[in-house]
Amino acid sequence: MGFLKGRLNFRRYRVVDPLPDDFRDRFEQAFTEHAFREKSVISRGEETMGWVRADNLLETDFSNRDRWLYTHYVMAGMRIDKKTLPMPLVRAMVEQRVAVWCEENGRARAPASVRSDIRTNIENDLLARTLPTVKVVHFCWNLPEGWVLFENTSEGMNDRFRTLVRNSFGVALEAFSPLEFLTETPELVDPLAAAGMTVMGGGAR
Amino acid sequence: MMDSLPHLSTEFFTWLWWATEQGGGRLTVDGEEIVVWVDDRMAFRLPSEDASRAVLTGADTARAAEAKAAMAAGKIIKELRIRLQWADREYGFTLKGSGLDVTGLVLPALPDEGDEQDRLMVRMEAIEALWAVLGAIYRQFAAVRTGASWAEEVVPSIQAWLVGDA
Repeated sequence: MGFLKGRLNFRRYRVVDPLPDDFRDRFEQAFTEHAFREKSVISRGEETMGWVRADNLLETDFSNRDRWLYTHYVMAGMRIDKKTLPMPLVRAMVEQRVAVWCEENGRARAPASVRSDIRTNIENDLLARTLPTVKVVHFCWNLPEGWVLFENTSEGMNDRFRTLVRNSFGVALEAFSPLEFLTETPELVDPLAAAGMTVMGGGAR
Repeated sequence: MMDSLPHLSTEFFTWLWWATEQGGGRLTVDGEEIVVWVDDRMAFRLPSEDASRAVLTGADTARAAEAKAAMAAGKIIKELRIRLQWADREYGFTLKGSGLDVTGLVLPALPDEGDEQDRLMVRMEAIEALWAVLGAIYRQFAAVRTGASWAEEVVPSIQAWLVGDA
């Protein structure tokens, strides 16, 4: 379960917008509306994304607040499912069926439209039999202090996370800046932010 | 809050590496002595690229000639694995990027009792304690970086250290 054991990776965020007084109700509603839902049909490369509870990636019932609100922390997971196909296998199957079509129709080459239909049928058939890759990344949100830890540092995952948070909770997240360390020494912020690059090693920086 | 310029993080990493080597792994932060050292991983990149150009791992990475050689060749520090001790706590973690992303964070041994909520509270408190110490170290860097001593003393000292004169 996210954040509760093992080594941690995270990017830290500051929550830009203030929380409304009725945030508990709103969060429950937001989690429910944007909960992960499996699609019956998912096309190649398409992602399905939504919230799951931190205790189990199959749990999307957020009606029990004890399962996502821990005193002043909100913890849940962003689940992303994606189906991919083994493309060498797809290509081989397409060539095989195109060859059969040519033989059956007495043609040397299959028209592009036929080849495209064959490929689509093969992909749909394989996608229906393929399990998705499933990824869950947890986050932990300190409500009174307005910061969030997201358990992944890749740009793509973080882009998806910020978008899902904004769409779900209506708040924007700003990635942590080390200048936030200087709230107790505000006189250092402007000079540091304006500091130019220093050449320390062998090359221009 | 304005964004921190990306080069400040690499300068922070360089300063921290140098300061810990100069101070025998001890820094006084907000009046408290902490033990901090560069652990078993450093990654370097060219200033114009994001991808790592050199990754050093293994024991005594901070003192490896290859680390200073990377800097001498114009590379800058992209990631730094740090070991940090104070009071009875010890953390290991890698800092990377302009926003100080944290990877591979190993927390001190913590009580494993109670329910999920208890464990979450204890672990988040430990993370916040680490963040507070990192903040204090960064403030120390910021004070040095914005002072006259940066150009007059610190940078020449770092440069001499990188070529082996200090």
